[in-house]
Amino acid sequence: MTLTESPVAESEAAADADGAAAPASPAETLGAPRGLAQPFMTSDAAQVGRLFVVTSLLLGLGAAAIGVLLSLGRTDAVAPDDLFGGLNAYFRMWTLYRASLVLLVVLPLLLGLALAVVPAQVGAGNVAFPRAALASFWSWLIGAVIMVASVLAGGGWGALDGVTGNESDAMALTLLGTGLVIVALLLGAIVVATTVISLRQTGMSLLDVPPFSWSMLVTAVVWLFSLPVAIANIIVIYADLRGRQAIAFGRPESPDIWLQLDWLVEQPAVYAMAVPVLGIVFSAVGKAVDARSSRPEAILVVVGLFGLLAMGGWSQDYFTAPQDLRDGLVYVAFGLAAVVPVVATAGGVGELVMRGSKTRDRLLSTPMLGAGAALKLLGAAALVGALRVIEPLDLLETSATWAVFHGVVAAGLIAGVAALATWSQLLLGPIQQRLAVGAIMLLGVGGGLLVLADLISGFIADDPDLMALALDGNAALNGVVLIGSLLLAAGLAAALFAAASALRARAARERSELERESGARAAGSEAA
Amino acid sequence: MRTTELPAAEAIRPRTVVVGALLATGAAFIAFAALVSVYVQQRQQAAALGEEWFPSGTVELGPAGMMMMTLALSIVTVQWAVQAARAEDRPHGFIALGVTLMFGAAVINQFWFVYQDTAFAIDGGRAELLFYAVTGSFIAMLIAAMAMVTVTTIRSLLGPFGRDLAHAVQASALFWHMCVLCYFLVWYVVFITK
Repeated sequence: MTLTESPVAESEAAADADGAAAPASPAETLGAPRGLAQPFMTSDAAQVGRLFVVTSLLLGLGAAAIGVLLSLGRTDAVAPDDLFGGLNAYFRMWTLYRASLVLLVVLPLLLGLALAVVPAQVGAGNVAFPRAALASFWSWLIGAVIMVASVLAGGGWGALDGVTGNESDAMALTLLGTGLVIVALLLGAIVVATTVISLRQTGMSLLDVPPFSWSMLVTAVVWLFSLPVAIANIIVIYADLRGRQAIAFGRPESPDIWLQLDWLVEQPAVYAMAVPVLGIVFSAVGKAVDARSSRPEAILVVVGLFGLLAMGGWSQDYFTAPQDLRDGLVYVAFGLAAVVPVVATAGGVGELVMRGSKTRDRLLSTPMLGAGAALKLLGAAALVGALRVIEPLDLLETSATWAVFHGVVAAGLIAGVAALATWSQLLLGPIQQRLAVGAIMLLGVGGGLLVLADLISGFIADDPDLMALALDGNAALNGVVLIGSLLLAAGLAAALFAAASALRARAARERSELERESGARAAGSEAA
Repeated sequence: MRTTELPAAEAIRPRTVVVGALLATGAAFIAFAALVSVYVQQRQQAAALGEEWFPSGTVELGPAGMMMMTLALSIVTVQWAVQAARAEDRPHGFIALGVTLMFGAAVINQFWFVYQDTAFAIDGGRAELLFYAVTGSFIAMLIAAMAMVTVTTIRSLLGPFGRDLAHAVQASALFWHMCVLCYFLVWYVVFITK
């Protein structure tokens, strides 16, 4: 590198080098663990990132299957009571679906992408604390197993009617699993944030950081401000669960446990999942059309603003009268303002496209399609979120809440697939474009249908009804929800297939490289 | 030889461990602050309903003030350790870390006395339960801080202070200061304003 070359451009080129071999990290080259030992001992964050990505997609498929069953419960085909063996069990699954989509699917998927991509983007060989990254993955996985198993064993986040026997202990176990998952995600966020703050290559200021890395720094800060509040909630709930004769909140014979944690899956906290979506959109579009923004600092401001509006720890209304908080000026302002950064992102993307190469291949490339679909869904979610806080529309405690949730989740998943296509060499390997496009289409249409159906359900609901069980009279709408859930599940399956085929291709390439190396070594020794 | 052919200088990495510790410390503080805010909110609610929070005379200020004094002293000793680590002064660093640990143990001992003195039952009521939730979380954080200090003390026993160990001492000190700040909240919110 000469003194005239920009270190930023070089590191971005390394991160964007699609088609070329991914830069080998020290762990890959110097006696890195191989085979079965690799997932337990690796100090290469890219490998930890791959573990996060594949496992979260796998868990996403499970969550989507639960979503299909829950949608079935809204149709006339099966009564919700009969579906899982009682209303309590239905509530358990309903809460598991929401909590797992956030904590076990979208957040870890984005964290995995960050662990693999961010070091390359900022010019660091590896993340700041590689062993902490690995510890983050394993504690997240153990927490996820505890969480899911305890819910299936009768635990969960409260119950609608009475619980008996060991169910209270199972609930305590669910709280432990949830806490462990949150702590693991926090640890991963600290690793990513420290990498961006401390390990940028010389000459790269924070303002020079590529959009995805910047968005992950903002996301990490948002998580660090929001997720510890959930830990505090869990401590109070657990103490309460143990001393339940003493006080009313958190008692196991009510859904109160969920009501203390549901702010995590509602706006504004739900947008914390969507901050990296903006970074992926800017990076993917920029790479697809081979252009750079004329105002990169504006991108940083837009992403930072969205992060600010995604701070959600303050928005829990369990301990106050809901109307005090939700009708308050700050809550309404946050809801309305969230549209602004999404619209600004659309403007920024438009500018990139105008400045870039506009060939048909580039405009219809997988990253471009993914970025477009993710941005549209996020825009729809932010718009519904804005409508939701307008008091005369009376959407606050209705299924419109889940329109925002589904829009953000689908946007996060699509952005994840777009990222897999954009940085395929850094992540899993060469991805099959058809599968990736198929996944994007299915997730986009499925997410769109869910947003639309949940929004309309919110408008036609007579009373607040978060579980939307009272809408069983509207067969057409419930049918749309079922189709949307099915498409979402199919999209996740396609994404998983794409990831698996990419990993297979990567393994085959590594095998052939090893064989070539050993052949060359043998030839060399013969010649000697 | 042209200057562009000279080997690049070693990159100056900022204090990675300290930055990571700062972020983790911030997260822990937010969790604790959220816990205290639930406590305050519930107490306000009880006051609005005219309920008594703690029975009068059960929570005494003396031991709590003594703990505050102890932790205030520990701020000095932990900074003494940081300074010693920076100056590569191993004997002073070792003594400072040891005294800090002793202060931490003394605070836990005093909390044990407070628990015996108040004799609250965890299911005695909203106030008692939240009292244990807040103070128990503080003790857990203090134990974590003591574990960090213990690890750095053991490492300082094994060899001289290098740059890495100095950063580790700074990281431990950061977390320790946060614990003292958390106790200040407990002292004011739980023990003084009751």
